This record gives sequence, structure tokens and C-alpha cells, in this order.
Amino acid sequence: MRAVGFLVRKEFQQIRRDRPVLGIIFVVPLLQLLIFANVLTTETKHVKLAVVDLDRSRLSRALATAFSNTDRFRVVGFTTDVAAIPSEMRAWRVQAALVIPPGFQSKLVRGESPALQCLVDGVDGNTAAVALGYAEGILSQFLTEYARREAANAELPAQPIRLEERMLYNPDLSSRQYMIPGLVVALLTIIPMLLTALSFTREREMGTLEQLLVTPLRKHELLAGKLIPYLILSYAELAVVTTAAIVVFRIHVEGSLVLLAGLGLLYLFTTLGLGLFVSTVTESQQQAMFVAYFLIVFMLLMSGFFIPIPNMPLLLKKLTYLDPMRYFMAIVRDVFQKGSSLPSLLPDVLPMTAFGLAIFSLSVLKFRKQLG
Amino acid sequence: MSPRALNSLFLHRPGTLQASLRRIRALAQKELYHILRDFRTLAIVILMPIVQLVMFGYALNLEIQRVDLGVLDYARTPLSRQLISCFEGSRLFRVFSMDGSAEEADRLFRLRRLQAVLVIPPRFGEEVERRGFSTVQLLVDASDPNAGTLIRDYSRRVVAGLASEKTGSQPLLDFRPTILFNPDLKSAYFFVPGIIALVLVMISALLTSITVAREREMGTLEALLATPVRPHEIVVGKVLPYAALALVDAVFVLAVGVLLYRVPLRGDPLLLLLLTAIYLATGLNLGLILSTVARTQQVAMIMAMVTTLLPTLLLSGLIFPIASMPGWLQALSYLVPARYYLLIVRGILLKGSAWAHLVQPSLVLLGMSLLLLAVSARRFRTTLEV
Repeated sequence: MRAVGFLVRKEFQQIRRDRPVLGIIFVVPLLQLLIFANVLTTETKHVKLAVVDLDRSRLSRALATAFSNTDRFRVVGFTTDVAAIPSEMRAWRVQAALVIPPGFQSKLVRGESPALQCLVDGVDGNTAAVALGYAEGILSQFLTEYARREAANAELPAQPIRLEERMLYNPDLSSRQYMIPGLVVALLTIIPMLLTALSFTREREMGTLEQLLVTPLRKHELLAGKLIPYLILSYAELAVVTTAAIVVFRIHVEGSLVLLAGLGLLYLFTTLGLGLFVSTVTESQQQAMFVAYFLIVFMLLMSGFFIPIPNMPLLLKKLTYLDPMRYFMAIVRDVFQKGSSLPSLLPDVLPMTAFGLAIFSLSVLKFRKQLG
Repeated sequence: MSPRALNSLFLHRPGTLQASLRRIRALAQKELYHILRDFRTLAIVILMPIVQLVMFGYALNLEIQRVDLGVLDYARTPLSRQLISCFEGSRLFRVFSMDGSAEEADRLFRLRRLQAVLVIPPRFGEEVERRGFSTVQLLVDASDPNAGTLIRDYSRRVVAGLASEKTGSQPLLDFRPTILFNPDLKSAYFFVPGIIALVLVMISALLTSITVAREREMGTLEALLATPVRPHEIVVGKVLPYAALALVDAVFVLAVGVLLYRVPLRGDPLLLLLLTAIYLATGLNLGLILSTVARTQQVAMIMAMVTTLLPTLLLSGLIFPIASMPGWLQALSYLVPARYYLLIVRGILLKGSAWAHLVQPSLVLLGMSLLLLAVSARRFRTTLEV
């Protein structure tokens, strides 16, 4: 037991001396959190809009103003040349164009339902769809006001069925509430795995692993001594990142933090085990980096972190069950957002535990066998 | 004699251009042997970008396909059945009828069996005559806000469709959206060029970042130092082989994008290749700078990942539109090379943009690349002299 303690101290000293590694563990994740929290937004703002006003009437100008008054659109120019729009889009100067046809005002007044064309750059399909949705919203508001103010006699279309929506678990529809817990999971996967993998391959590359073997240390002591520091560090990281998410980024936690801490510890067996596994199949730190990176990309992709699993083709959907991160991702999000308790999380906790045990014991066996 | 004096003795020896070119060629050849001899790494370098593109392109689908909708119909009137069949008829929803209470909905949300529940109150439809409208309730699992918004908007459209069918009113306006360049709003058209931008900058920065750090780790940097090779010659000699390798990668990746994902190539392929080469140069030069900072290969690689992967993923417009970000992040995004390359690659592939449309981003990219080259050559001199 004392031997393990010495090894742990040696590992910590090595980590403390290696400034970049400490930065990678604590500073980089916080920076990522800061950027993620600001980048992630489902709102589309400032879509570059060109107004092609071929009517030049009071109402057409009022319509253009209705668009420029929102922060959804930024009116970048007025023109009368529809043919120039695609070329402007090719140069990325315009994303959408509103074409108000000649006779717009007179037709509207006569109730002849004038055609209003809206050209949208479809390359970014998501933005295009959202922008069209906004445009429809602005138009319907414009028409309501028009009907109320100018055509008091014209009757508004009645709405016999009303939909009352309740957005559960995330009433503000905040992307942060969804993505930041996911980011915590991503960080708790990437960093423990990389650190463990690299620390073992480094010892092997430098030949110091063999030196450790000729000491009176037993194999399991060696393993424990090398893994415990990373377990402690990763756990500290979980604490730091979660605290930052709650205190700095005001992420609301509906469920129990104790539950989260317990399941986090369970998950670390998976990631540390994967790190150990990577180190057993690679010869150099460089190879370990590549293999770990590949695993991480695969796990991130299949975890539902940023691509919702229900959207995937069937084959990929089945593949996601092989991704241990998938389970922890669902658990963390449910604890944060829905306040789920252990019983309703069991369908995810059980496979996660099974994966963790399997991966950890397999890599330990493989490692021991390699040491001979 | 101090190392510095030794250096100046060798490095400032006058030489002809021809001699310089010969030294560069020798260095490039040496580096090429390094690449070819390390078969495993070479395989990773060639395969990794392609595998990534295939994986991402296949999986990156942000269009929501199916939403499982539970229906609690307390009314059981002709109107309620009509409303349900409107939901059943829409492409998005798969409708399950439920019985029980709204608490059941919460349980099913937690088990992720349902994403939305439509609650039709008793006496639904009867109030239409009395009050002029009747209300139905929609419960949405909005923990994923994107999906939540989509479900809400779609349901509104379904309900409005039924409502206008009932009243038979004519719209005041005839709104005609026309979507250009990607009328089906395919995610792949948007993301495949984005992934290309990502893997190219990552692989090129990774490649060069390791080279100098490896020489330093192995002690061969000092051996290089003792030769008459000059710093800028080392820079060029080291970058050239990796530039060739990265360009091969780029062609592969672009081919996969066009052939496998059927992303159209509407512009000039030569222009695309030329501008891609400039983009690769920024990545290669960036990696070179990092390698002069980092003492070990490990640190060099991690730095290469951190400086390319995340900024490109988050700040270039690859996924999240730049215009929607707060001002300080928008300002940061000007520093990310992929921001400019994305305009180029998406423009040429999807819109058929020509040189005249892309002058500005191309020049910025070229300027960045030259600046990074100058910095790396300079840093190289100082690292060699220390």
C-alpha cells in the first residue's frame, strides 16, 4: 500500500512539473465552456436580407421596415434588379431577398392576394428554414396590423382551434441548458482517456516502465499507482467544470448532484479503462494520440451530443448502443434537465456499468499480460 | 566557442541560390523518407480524413425525421378525430393513442418513449360555437430546444391548416418562398464541405507540428544545426513534403465528398484546388509555429488539436452561424482560417462561385498564410540559436 502511495506521489509530481498538461486539464475545459456557452444558440440572427422593391409604394416600404425592425434580419441593400441576387449570394453578401412585385399595394388593398416572393440561400439549410419561419411570422404580424389599421372592415381570418404549448424541462428553449451538460460529459471522456493513454505510452517509450517492473512493486500496485492520480484529477475536473457550469453559466440543475457525482465516478472507469486500452495497442505517444483521437471522435459522434440519435439512419442508431458515452450523456442531461432519479435512469445506468466493468477489466488483463 | 558563434559561422556563410535549393531538396527528401518509412502513421494520415468525412457525412443529419407523439383524446368527437388524423397525415409525427393521465406523459418523457403529447380536452369543439375558439394542449419535451422548436412550429402549422380548412378563408398574401442552390435543404450539402475544411486544417497542422518537436526530442535538431542549412531552408524543406501529402489528402477528401455524398461541384475545380492549397499552407505553417513552441511531440500534437479542432468547429461558421454570435466571438472568428475557406469551398461547390465572387476571402487567406510563414521562419531562427 505504501508503494502505491509513492507511485501516486511520483505521478503527481510529474504532472505538476508539466505545466501544459495542467493547463490542458483545467484551463482548456473552462475556455471551452466559455466559448460553447456563447456560440451555442438555436436563434438565427442578422440574416443578410436584400429588399427588391418593385412597387415603391407606401405599403411596400412599410413591409421593408417591418423586416428591418427585427434583429432576425439585417437589411443589407435595396435594389430593383432581381437578376443580381444569385450573384450576390455567390459572393456571400446576401442570404435572402424579399421581392415585392409591382402593384403590390393596389392588389393588397383590393384583396387580390398579391404574390410575394422570398429568395433564400439554401446552402445552410437550417438557417434557411429558420429564416423563412421568421419571415412568415413578420408577414403575418404585418398583415394583422394592416388589417386592423387600414382595413377595419376586412375581417381577419378567424382561428377556431388554438394550440396551447407547454415546453417541458426547458421552458426558455435555451440551448445552453442542453449543450453544457453534454460538454461536461465530453470533457470527462476526452481528458481522462488522453492523459491515461499518454502517461502509459510515455513510460513505455522511455523505457521507464521496465524500470518500474524491476522494483519490488507488484503489477496491480503499479497499475493502481498510475491510475489513481488520473482518477483523482479527472474527478477534480468534473467538480470544477460542473461548478463553473452552475455558478458562472447559470445552468439549472433539476436533479441530485450527489447522484451525478456517483454516476460520474462509475463512468470514469470506462474512460480510464479506454485510456489504458489505447496504451496497450500502441507503441508510441504519437500513435496513442491518433488512436485516442479516433475513438473520441467516434464516441462523440455516436453519443447524441450534437447529432440527435433519433435523426440517424437505422444502422447508426444501432451502433450508438456500443458507445458508452451515449448512456452517460443521457444520464447527465436527464439529471440536469428532467431531475430524473436513479430508478428511471436504470435503463442507461445498467449498460453503462456493464461497459465500464468490461472495458476496465479487459484492459487491465491485457496490460498485465503485456508486462509478462 | 559559444553555440551562437558557431551558428553564425555556418548559417551566414554566403551561398548561391542553387546551393540553397539543393539543401532544400535534400531536406525535403529526408523528410519524405521519414514519412514513407513510418507506414502506420502514413496510413493514419491518409485514411483518417476520409474515414472521418464518411462518418460525419453519414451521421451529421440535423433534420429531425420522426417525432413520437402521444395523444390523450378526452373528447372523442368528430372534430378531435379529425385533428388527430391531421397529425397522422403529416410527415413528421408518428401518433400513439394513450389513455390515462398527463402524469403518464411525464413518465414516458423521462423514458424517452415520447417527444410530445397532444391533450384534447373533454368537450373539445363545443366551445367553438360559444367562444369562437377551442383549445388543445401540446406538451413538448423541450430538453433538446432544437427538436422542441421544430415540434412546436410543425404542430402550429397542422392546427392552422385544419383551422383554415374549417373557416375556408382566403389568405391576404400569396407568400412564395424560393430556395436557391439547395432546394431540398440537404444537411449533407452544408456539412460535407465543412468537414472537409475541418479535416484539412487539422491534418496539415498535426503533420508539421510533430516534425520539429520530434527532431528536438530525438536530439537531431542539434545535428541539423551543425550543418550549413539555413533556418528558412529548413522551414521550406520541411513544409514541402507535407504540403504534397496534405494536397493528396485534400483531393481524396474532395473526391469522397463529391462522389459519395453527391455534393455538386458547380464551380471551377482548378480554382478550388488552388485556393485549397493556400488554405493547407495556413495549416502547415501554423503547425510549424506550434512545433517551435512545444518541447515534446505530445504537447505539439495537443496544441495542434486545440488550435485547429475547436476554433474550426465552433467559430468558423461550420455549424453555428457567425452572425448569431456575440460580438467578441465574431471578432475572434476573423482569426480562424476556416472562416474564409468555408466561403470558398461552399461557394465553389454549391453555388458555382467564380474568382470574382471570392477575391476577398482568398486574399485574406493568402495574407494569413504568408504571415504565418514569416512568423514560423523567424521563430525558427530563434529556436535554432537558443
